[in-house]
Amino acid sequence: MFRHLMLCATFCTATLVQIVASPASAKDAYIPIIVPLTGFLSLEGTAQRNGAVQALENTPEGVSATYEVLDTATSPEQAVTALHRALDRGEPVAAAASIFGTQMLAMLPVAKRAGLPLVTVSGTAKLTELNNPYIFRFFPGDAVVKVAHANYAVRELGAKRPALLYQTTAYGQSGRVHLARRLREMGTPLVYEEALAPSVKDMLPALTKLKAAAPDVILLHLHSAPTALAIRQARASGLDLPVVAGSAMHQPSTAKLLEAAHLKGVCAESASSPVSESVAKIAAFTREFRERFATDPDAFAMAQYDGINMVLAALADGASSAQEVRNWLAGHTFEGLAMTYKSDGKGNMAHDAVIICYDGETLVPTVVKRYHNVDGVL
Amino acid sequence: MTHPGQRGFLLTAVFLFAPPAIAFAAGDYERRVMTLAGIYALAVLGYQLVFGRIGALSLAQGCFFGLGAYTTGLLGIHFGWTFPASFLAAAIVPALLAFVVALPVLRLGSHYFALATLGISQVVLLVAVNWTDVTGGANGLYGIPEVSILDRSFSSSEAMLVLVWGTLAVAVTGVSAMLRGRASHRLSVLRDAPEAAASIGIDAAAHRLALFLASAALGGVAGALQAHSVGVVSPAVAEFHVMVTILAMTVVGGRGHPAGAILGAVLLVHLPEWFRFLEANYLIAHGAALLLAVILLPQGLAGLFQRWLGEKPHFKPHTDVSSDRNIPAVRRASDGLEINNVEKRFAGIVALDKVSLRISAGEIVGLIGPNGSGKTTVVNVISGLVAPDRGRLVLDKQEIGAMGPHLRARLGLGRSFQSPATTPTLTILESVLAATSSNHDNATAQRLAESCLAFVDLSGWGVEFSGTLPPAKARDLDLARLLAAEPSVVMLDEPAAGLTPTERARLANRLKNLAEAGLGILVIDHSMDFLLPLADRVICLASGVIVSEGRPEEVARHPAAIAAYFGEGRR
Amino acid sequence: MSASILQLLVNGIALGAAYALIALGFVLVINAIGAVNFAQGDLVMTGGFVAVILADWLIESEAWTTWGLGVLVLPLTMVAMAALGILFSLFAYVPLRNRPPVSVFISTIAFGMMLQHGANAAFGPDPRNGPPLIEAGMVSFGSVGVSLQQISVIVAATFLIGTTRVVLFQTQFGRQLRATAQDQEMAEAIGVDGFRSIGLTFALAVALAGAAGMLLSNQFFVTPTDGGVFMLKAYIAVTLGGWGRLDGATVAAILIGIFEVMVAAVVSYVVAEALLYATLLLVLLLRPSGFLAESIQRRT
Repeated sequence: MFRHLMLCATFCTATLVQIVASPASAKDAYIPIIVPLTGFLSLEGTAQRNGAVQALENTPEGVSATYEVLDTATSPEQAVTALHRALDRGEPVAAAASIFGTQMLAMLPVAKRAGLPLVTVSGTAKLTELNNPYIFRFFPGDAVVKVAHANYAVRELGAKRPALLYQTTAYGQSGRVHLARRLREMGTPLVYEEALAPSVKDMLPALTKLKAAAPDVILLHLHSAPTALAIRQARASGLDLPVVAGSAMHQPSTAKLLEAAHLKGVCAESASSPVSESVAKIAAFTREFRERFATDPDAFAMAQYDGINMVLAALADGASSAQEVRNWLAGHTFEGLAMTYKSDGKGNMAHDAVIICYDGETLVPTVVKRYHNVDGVL
Repeated sequence: MTHPGQRGFLLTAVFLFAPPAIAFAAGDYERRVMTLAGIYALAVLGYQLVFGRIGALSLAQGCFFGLGAYTTGLLGIHFGWTFPASFLAAAIVPALLAFVVALPVLRLGSHYFALATLGISQVVLLVAVNWTDVTGGANGLYGIPEVSILDRSFSSSEAMLVLVWGTLAVAVTGVSAMLRGRASHRLSVLRDAPEAAASIGIDAAAHRLALFLASAALGGVAGALQAHSVGVVSPAVAEFHVMVTILAMTVVGGRGHPAGAILGAVLLVHLPEWFRFLEANYLIAHGAALLLAVILLPQGLAGLFQRWLGEKPHFKPHTDVSSDRNIPAVRRASDGLEINNVEKRFAGIVALDKVSLRISAGEIVGLIGPNGSGKTTVVNVISGLVAPDRGRLVLDKQEIGAMGPHLRARLGLGRSFQSPATTPTLTILESVLAATSSNHDNATAQRLAESCLAFVDLSGWGVEFSGTLPPAKARDLDLARLLAAEPSVVMLDEPAAGLTPTERARLANRLKNLAEAGLGILVIDHSMDFLLPLADRVICLASGVIVSEGRPEEVARHPAAIAAYFGEGRR
Repeated sequence: MSASILQLLVNGIALGAAYALIALGFVLVINAIGAVNFAQGDLVMTGGFVAVILADWLIESEAWTTWGLGVLVLPLTMVAMAALGILFSLFAYVPLRNRPPVSVFISTIAFGMMLQHGANAAFGPDPRNGPPLIEAGMVSFGSVGVSLQQISVIVAATFLIGTTRVVLFQTQFGRQLRATAQDQEMAEAIGVDGFRSIGLTFALAVALAGAAGMLLSNQFFVTPTDGGVFMLKAYIAVTLGGWGRLDGATVAAILIGIFEVMVAAVVSYVVAEALLYATLLLVLLLRPSGFLAESIQRRT
């Protein structure tokens, strides 16, 4: 009987502690960071977290903010629970929210009901097509970057016969739709495409079929490790075609998996490439980021940093509630590190994309092409 | 019913009411979390039917969960079905899948069953991810309508909490009603002593199928509620992660009692939330807690209440007479059992060659022969565990050759096994009750079981757990259980093995009494001194052939029998 | 075309060889304790990270050069993983040794979870590139180019599988392990320390997983979430190969590797995956005890 009592007591206490404890004190703005830290998107989610934390630990004068990091793992269910928890723990003025589009789709109705603006870097096009006034996307959506992706391959590299490998994940499948559509519009449809699960190890089968289709450029829309694997295996099997990869390629941890020589002729789309920039502000950001997190920042980190900084700018400008922050985000233009952000009325804040290329001698890419204002909002 | 039943009911009622009540008062977030706990409790409740009741490690419950979520999502979004209709469909579709796969899968042994169910789950996941036009692919489907029943919206956290826990209460009640009393005992026998189960008329395949379907339906219902409460359905609902969660909840909560489903779900849904302050590391703590729970709580959390629940009922025997006068009723098969020209080969080796024999009502027939002569095979063929290659089997004018073992048992054919399998989770009375025909009402069954126990002098033992019996008493229990199925012919495989002379004499006496009451009995034994005074007739088998048959003393003198025993057959 | 078929075949064998190492460790544990080790995939992943860390450390501390690094890292990884294997058995098996096998099933899931998220916490979410066994490079056989790493994976796996067989079947130590696997009580009755035997079986099994982890980490990188897929492949291999059979599991694992690569090349990856499961289900349907007969009595 004693054991039962102990058990009940532990359970009840634990629940009570959860209910009573609240992280935010009254005057600090509470900005939860609700991102995937575990599971297959942990690399991107951790970059988001780091970018947001970097911004929140260096708040502008007169603004103080507290934050809490909540893992959304791999499912929409966990994301929704984390968001409910954040709403319960204080009165957030905004939240940094998951890069995982499916999780965003689940969180959006909850955020709308609670009147909480979500600041995300998720590329999934649908997010901003739902007339939800609480979404703010600080990374160019698929509709922007995939246009840059396709344009660069066709117009700059002169591709006539593009081939595509994409991932069977939310990121891969939605990117593929936009890429394929844009390529069709330009009169250079895909000559070959294949979907790869993230668990696929050996890519030679896909590369063999790809070679047989006689393409003149390889497009990749894969996550970090698979992108590196595809490039390495392509080069090892003597496929020396130019590669235009998705944004995962620009992540410094992807390049680190490869030898510089493999990367000759490899380009990628992204919103930015912090490690490539020598502009003082970005260099300073990169330096601080490395010191704080012992890793290189990527475009997701910088976009999330910019997004949270825009929220902090709203607070500095006098916004104090979630609603006021939302209105400020919707109505202002913000000079971030990566680009100038302004809402298109649907929550798309980012309108620039870059193409980076590797020279085959270093692992740091150079920005070779900047697509400004792709959707004409600015 | 008895005290433990009432207490179990009380306990379940408390666990069904207290968590949502606490959450109701606590706040929006706690209500959402507790709603999830209720959803998983439903899936676990279903999983207990397969994992706890059948004792099979299924890895498909997560798949049924996901299938339910997709069903309600697809029907709600694409076809505009209202919640009650799509909810119902979400129970039916997983059950249909379960039905389709049940036939090949349910007969597989433990680890193959686990892998087969895992394989099916992977295929479903593959479809969910790659059939993008319908399922939305990895992105999934969004905008699943909020629950509304008869124009009443259930969008608030309070309403969802009540809806989910209300559904859980209905499901717990339904499952408890389905698995009350003898139905539950039968399942325990089926799980712990599957071969014995068939010999007392329990239809293993039908029971397993019913439980598998019910578990799939409950999994689907849980998945549907999850889809509506999250508003999105994506392949994440069908991933192995969900299965692991359900399995862990079942193990931590306990797989035997509905209270375990609730406890396991409530605890494991909350556990990661409590460890949130550890950021990305909280799942390490979650894993450690799970490991600790498995080590420290062998019966799960519900096991902590087991002693309280399992306290022995006060046993009042209806009948209180000594065994000799109290012979349980037996059916009389006027034409007895007859087998003709039965042949059986195992991998080309002849096990039985043209074996014919009959057992008449009221007759005791001894079956002797050296090891490997085919004695047990004869019993296995007659009881239906082994299909003969050729030959006729007739019980009381009825062809039984095409029937399953349980149907033969229901017609009056009983058998025992060399080593009686016990059912550790049942009391002695319960394990005998399990054998009584479901046509009897409870009172009749109770009287029947008690008279069978009294016959084997186990009256005072009814409340003990059957796993605790000494070997001789275990054999007595086996006989009582056999008799409770009201057989007309029984076949006993070495019933005297390991008994003391006194115990043998008592057994012989009981068998004679049963024969006098009209029971036909076949007894396998090695020792002629046991059979000589007991049997009316003895059949001697050697290498699958009947070499001698007749009155015991004749067979004992028959040269072929002697050769079989003391010549080449001697070890 | 025939050249590319050969090329694919080599890739399939290399992949299958790594699967075989994983399946071998998996089947050793099954034989020793009659339970499925669900952490096997996560142990492979851990082996990959251990190799990465060891290689980094050897280079950074200037204890070694890149020359011959992999040949040194492989045994070191296996030793470290063997130690982890003993730890693993102490947590996930010893407290549960008198319980039904399903308890071990759950405890290994829990342990695997701790490994996966522990790796995420300790090494970060970045994918990592393990050290090559021997230096990177290609050898050409006519028109077929085979990477040195692939050759070394096949050679190393063959060597380790062969050594394991020799240890198990030709040494006193191996006889003790097998005796314990067959019947622990009987083995103890004739003077074998069953407890020690099982601990050492775990050590061997996990060391093999570690070796596979290292070999795969260079070919295919390693991330904390890698475990699940390896566990599944090993489970399928062991089932198709006949539950409890070392040779069957090894052969089935190699066939799975070849099957995956070939079907993916002819049709697609999705079809390859679906067909693998379909084959599995079909085999279970037609031959409920696997391709080859089971070698051990089922213990439940």
